[in-house]
Amino acid sequence: MNKLIAMVRKELIDAARDKRSVMAGLYYAIGTPLIMCGMFMVLINQLTSPEDLNITINKAENAPDLVRYLSRKGINQADLAASPDADVKAITLTITEDYAANMAKAKPAEVIILADNSDEKLQNSIRRLQQELQTYSSEMGSLRLIARGINPQVMQSLKVDMQDQSTPDSKGGMILGIAIFTMIYSVFISAMNLAIDTSAGERERNSLALMLSHPISTRQLVLGKVIAVTLFALLGLVLILLISKIAYTFVPWQELGFSINISTDFMQLMFVIGIPVALLASTLQLFVSFMAKSFKEAQSYLTMVLFVPIALSMAASYNIAPDVLQWIPVSGQQQALMDFIKGKDIPMLQLAVSSTMTVVISIGLMLGMEKMLKSEKVVFGL
Amino acid sequence: MISVTNLSKKIGDVQALNKLSFSAQDGHITGLLGPNGAGKTTCLRTLFGLLTPDEGYAEVDGINVAEKPIQAKQQLGLFPDPFGLYERLTPREYITYFAELSGMSRKEAKAATENVIEQLNLGDISNRRCKGFSQGQRMKTALAQAIVHQPTNIILDEPTRGLDVMSTRLLRDILIDLKSRGHCVLFSSHVMQEVAALCDHVIVMANGSVVATGSPDELCQQTGESSLEEAFIKLIGTDEGIAA
Repeated sequence: MNKLIAMVRKELIDAARDKRSVMAGLYYAIGTPLIMCGMFMVLINQLTSPEDLNITINKAENAPDLVRYLSRKGINQADLAASPDADVKAITLTITEDYAANMAKAKPAEVIILADNSDEKLQNSIRRLQQELQTYSSEMGSLRLIARGINPQVMQSLKVDMQDQSTPDSKGGMILGIAIFTMIYSVFISAMNLAIDTSAGERERNSLALMLSHPISTRQLVLGKVIAVTLFALLGLVLILLISKIAYTFVPWQELGFSINISTDFMQLMFVIGIPVALLASTLQLFVSFMAKSFKEAQSYLTMVLFVPIALSMAASYNIAPDVLQWIPVSGQQQALMDFIKGKDIPMLQLAVSSTMTVVISIGLMLGMEKMLKSEKVVFGL
Repeated sequence: MISVTNLSKKIGDVQALNKLSFSAQDGHITGLLGPNGAGKTTCLRTLFGLLTPDEGYAEVDGINVAEKPIQAKQQLGLFPDPFGLYERLTPREYITYFAELSGMSRKEAKAATENVIEQLNLGDISNRRCKGFSQGQRMKTALAQAIVHQPTNIILDEPTRGLDVMSTRLLRDILIDLKSRGHCVLFSSHVMQEVAALCDHVIVMANGSVVATGSPDELCQQTGESSLEEAFIKLIGTDEGIAA
């Protein structure tokens, strides 16, 4: 026990003095929430379209009533002379010459929208214009029916009443998924450099054989390293939680109609759920690094290995095959956290199963490392 | 006391150890002399249980290393090649850490570290990080690590490599001091002067087995040569891989 404490203490002192490990963890924990906030702000700006939509209307004089209607709905004829910096969308509405004549004869009067529908930034504006034109069209239709003594409701065969059951929080599921993913991923990133340094790096510095020349068992050695790396991973998690709690309050969530609040309850839950994940992160990365012959080799293996938690966590937030994923390490925890923040009940059984699996896999990896370190090839990198 | 019996080990296609048997007594300095590639380091690694012999066994104070590695290692101190220092730790932290790994409590380890720092005159560098140390400073730190827990047996792998005269002398004094206090000192070397000056007992190794044993004088007599170097060359039959 004394030896174990000595090992963990030494690993932590060593790691804390290793700027590379500390910085990798810190950059991620501080940077990611800030980048996410920036991204969400841009996203929210894109989603909530501006009040006024300025477009070019050709031959507006042919349909003064329509132009007046559109302008009441915030769609205006761009007036470059009056305000040259106005944001004019690349949408042109052309009113045909025989518009007035056709309108008077109750024939379909033609208007032409000229725009690039593949331009994602324009799609919302185009849809808005189309919707307003549709509404105007049916209003005119109703007026014509009334003039002919017919109740316009005969045209309405269906009355669709959409009752939205989503709570404000659940609407943000997708965004939440990404936010929670960055937090889960932080344990992997924070653990990475220390895991490599303490395994492949230790061998490269020739201190691994020296350690094993002392009266310690390989199990103690593995445990010491796993505990140290796991603690470091959890430190990264705590940091990202604290930074997220502060940073996410600056995003104007209310414009999207929901709110993301990193509550203290959530932080506590995330930390508890994060413990087995951090254990997995450290054992997985130590295991892979011990297999590698050098620091650099370990780095390139780990970049590949880290794809697995990314894939699992991403799949969970995109609702791809959600049933199986609820039971699997990383994605199971991710879904439980998402359910919690959406205000649903946490699927306790699934969370328990996936957490148990996480721990079981970690123990398996630890036993594997213990076996590896008894091999001459691994210790001396033969 | 350290003894190996009938030790054989194949690494890859190379027969690194071939039925190697010898023993090193307490209160003696025993030199393991052999050209590069004779199997010296392999033999020492086997003593620490880092390599498993294909045949034979190694014993430390009568404890079989393969059967009770922890107890056997408790009696050993290693001065390794290369040193395996932690660049970001200070010698004081480094020595205390390995003292703790050798089974001392933190308090004992700290006290023992103070003693060994005193003994090796490490005071001026004991709170500097090991990064950037000279070869002599590294040697002293590694040596302190090997003897801090006062093991009965001290094993040194090529201890004098890269050292200047002052450091070599210091090392020599310490080894003689350890010997006089009844420790068993075993060191591998291919430097004749070292071996001639220090050893009570020399084991000449070539191609993984013992070629001759005895004190430096006895080896000279056996071969009818006047210097240990000439005797050594005669014993191993070639002058390849020897530093004068």
